[in-house]
Amino acid sequence: MIIKHSDKIASPNIIKDSFQKLGYICSDDIATSIYLACQLQKPILIEGPPGVGKTELAKKTAQYLSAELIRMQCYEGLDEAKALYEWKYGKQLLYTQLLKDQLGDVLSGAKGLDESVSRLHQFGDIFYSEEFLEPRPLLQALRNEDGAVLLIDEIDKADQEFEAFLLELLSDYQVSIPEIGTVKAITKPIVILTSNNTRELGDALKRRCLHLYIPFPDPKLEQEIIAVQVPDINNDLRNQLVSFVNELRALSLKKVPAVSETIDWARALLLLNVHSLDHDWIKNTLNLLLKFQDDIEVVESEIYPLLKKIQQKTPKQKPGQA
Amino acid sequence: MQKVLGDFIHALRHAGLPISPAETLDALHAARLLGLSNPTSLKAGLGMTLAKSLPHQVQFERLFDQFFSINQEHLDEVDGNDRNTSIQTTTQKSSELVTEASSPSQRDHAEPVQSPLGIQLMSGDQANLQIVIASAAEGAGASQMQVFTQKSVVSYRIMQQLGEEQLNNEINKLTRDKENFELVEALRTKQQILRQQVRDYVEQQYLLFSKEKGEQLREDELQKITLSNIDQSDYQRMTRLVQKAAKQLASMHSRRRRITKRGLLDVRKTIAANAAYDGFLFHTKWKSTRIERPKVMVLCDVSGSVSRVSRFLLLFLYSLQDVLPRVRSFVFATDLVEVTDDFKKQDLEIAITSIMSKRANLPTDYGKALDDFKTLALKDIDPKTTVIMLGDARNNHADANSRVWQEVYQHSKRVLWLNPEGRFSWNSGDSIMSHYASYCSRVEHCSSLRDLTRILGSLLKHS
Repeated sequence: MIIKHSDKIASPNIIKDSFQKLGYICSDDIATSIYLACQLQKPILIEGPPGVGKTELAKKTAQYLSAELIRMQCYEGLDEAKALYEWKYGKQLLYTQLLKDQLGDVLSGAKGLDESVSRLHQFGDIFYSEEFLEPRPLLQALRNEDGAVLLIDEIDKADQEFEAFLLELLSDYQVSIPEIGTVKAITKPIVILTSNNTRELGDALKRRCLHLYIPFPDPKLEQEIIAVQVPDINNDLRNQLVSFVNELRALSLKKVPAVSETIDWARALLLLNVHSLDHDWIKNTLNLLLKFQDDIEVVESEIYPLLKKIQQKTPKQKPGQA
Repeated sequence: MQKVLGDFIHALRHAGLPISPAETLDALHAARLLGLSNPTSLKAGLGMTLAKSLPHQVQFERLFDQFFSINQEHLDEVDGNDRNTSIQTTTQKSSELVTEASSPSQRDHAEPVQSPLGIQLMSGDQANLQIVIASAAEGAGASQMQVFTQKSVVSYRIMQQLGEEQLNNEINKLTRDKENFELVEALRTKQQILRQQVRDYVEQQYLLFSKEKGEQLREDELQKITLSNIDQSDYQRMTRLVQKAAKQLASMHSRRRRITKRGLLDVRKTIAANAAYDGFLFHTKWKSTRIERPKVMVLCDVSGSVSRVSRFLLLFLYSLQDVLPRVRSFVFATDLVEVTDDFKKQDLEIAITSIMSKRANLPTDYGKALDDFKTLALKDIDPKTTVIMLGDARNNHADANSRVWQEVYQHSKRVLWLNPEGRFSWNSGDSIMSHYASYCSRVEHCSSLRDLTRILGSLLKHS
């Protein structure tokens, strides 16, 4: 996979530019991390507040490298059977029932239990072979011949044991299945782990990964993002809404609006045919930005001062645009 | 490159970043891939491989800027650049020095200078000078400094190693001849500049390698110190230490408990689930054992000297949220109130400070406080509850009301009494420890962070 795309990942700048063409505006840090992950063949652990595009980065990487995206959502209680592989119990059972008669034939003429068992042994582990193996995301990623992008989403939601279980995969790109042996990756996948920091991850896991922290973008970058995601929106409104959201982030809220919320808001305002932010529009659409009633109540009383603040800022930008 | 990166990683480790050899190798690979010409991408690349959490990232960025502003020359060198670039990047002072030295009139005068340091100075080769300083500093033990008072000694030693003595002798010799006046002046200013450079260098070395060492000594000390004697200025550091200790405990115990989660095979459910498979047991069902998290109620005396210990006990307990999600806390001096909700609503630090300032100066009355506790919480105490009392049992000669404590003892799983005073002073003066001690599962002397860690560790082990 890496060899196939060596020109695509020749430098961080190439990655940055191509991602932009795909509609993902990334900072230098992000481009460097993707570059290093591809070159060093190391997993990336992405942390950051919700809604800054952690999962999206994995999707775009898969799209860019034209690889399959295999996604594994983590949750409490996730175990090997759901993440790595499971035996097809039903199929095993069905086959044993169907093969009962055959078994009779095989065993006919055998004297005593010992001989029967030794005859059975000659057939090997038929029921525990590849045909009966149900691959789950991790195994799929390893067995994908063209290489894949494996997204392990919200690893912090999984239990600690699961984290330990991932270590072998992350460092050697192989897993051990007791009945079959060690499965090694045909082509090493690119592994992207995301975390919302609900719990501190283990040092062992962190050590094996590149660490990337994606913060809220600065206003300039956010404007670019909006410009790409919502191309029809006019410049003034874009300026206003980005600076408004940035002011909101400075308030002490339960959940501050992230980039994805800004995009939603921009789309909504476009749909509503709003040309300039005013008090009523903000008040009516605030629920797109804020997800807690407490937050909405806090902000509602602050809308006027906030608007004034951003209006002071925007005239400065206007001469530049004119 | 390896040397520079090695030094840098050494400095990072000093600052408390846990960097393993494997990560060092990754960083080397990354640096090789990204090249050294672009500092921003190098910084990003190294940051990704070396700093694995947000606080570490911040520290990393600070140290990166600090370190590579000093070692710019090294970077340029390993990159194979011309040395001239390094001269451009050094401080303004040295650029003055360079222009001075490169003017031809000065060069003519340079000939009579014979001491090695003098020649070095007059040649104006900054890069070379930096290297000489660095090697002299190594000899003078600049990277082994522990406290800031050593800085001047080390600077002096470096100057000696550079050959300042010879230079002084020479300057003295030259002064005798009036013709050399200009030259002597030039040499003197350069000597001054060099001294300043050495001082700066030592300062930076101290910052990089030794400031954190001092910090570590201090932290070790703080572990042992009696909590009530902790200086106001150390609160911040102490808070961090408490949280660190709590995190260690939490991770230790959450792990142990998870393993027991597997539980027993639930035969009845398994048979039911596998009826469809002709009675073959393919899907196993497990008896899910409920994870037992200890219920903890903590009563803190917040008067006088005990308040400081209370503060850290509360801080500690609330840092244990992961394994002890159900802590109810009560504080008292005369009256007892529940403060669990205050802690939930506000930042813990602020909440504790406001509580302390409101109540700290009231006289203690254990009898009254226990009555309040009885009405507030006695009904919620069940055989799974652990009750922790932190207090010195100095009751101002009021009624002990130990009957309530006896009831608490009977209803709960365990009762711990932590006393910040040493055992020898229990029951002396107005202390009535003996009244309560018989209704406690354990009575402990608890005055330092070590004690706290030990006691709470055993609490988790038993739960």
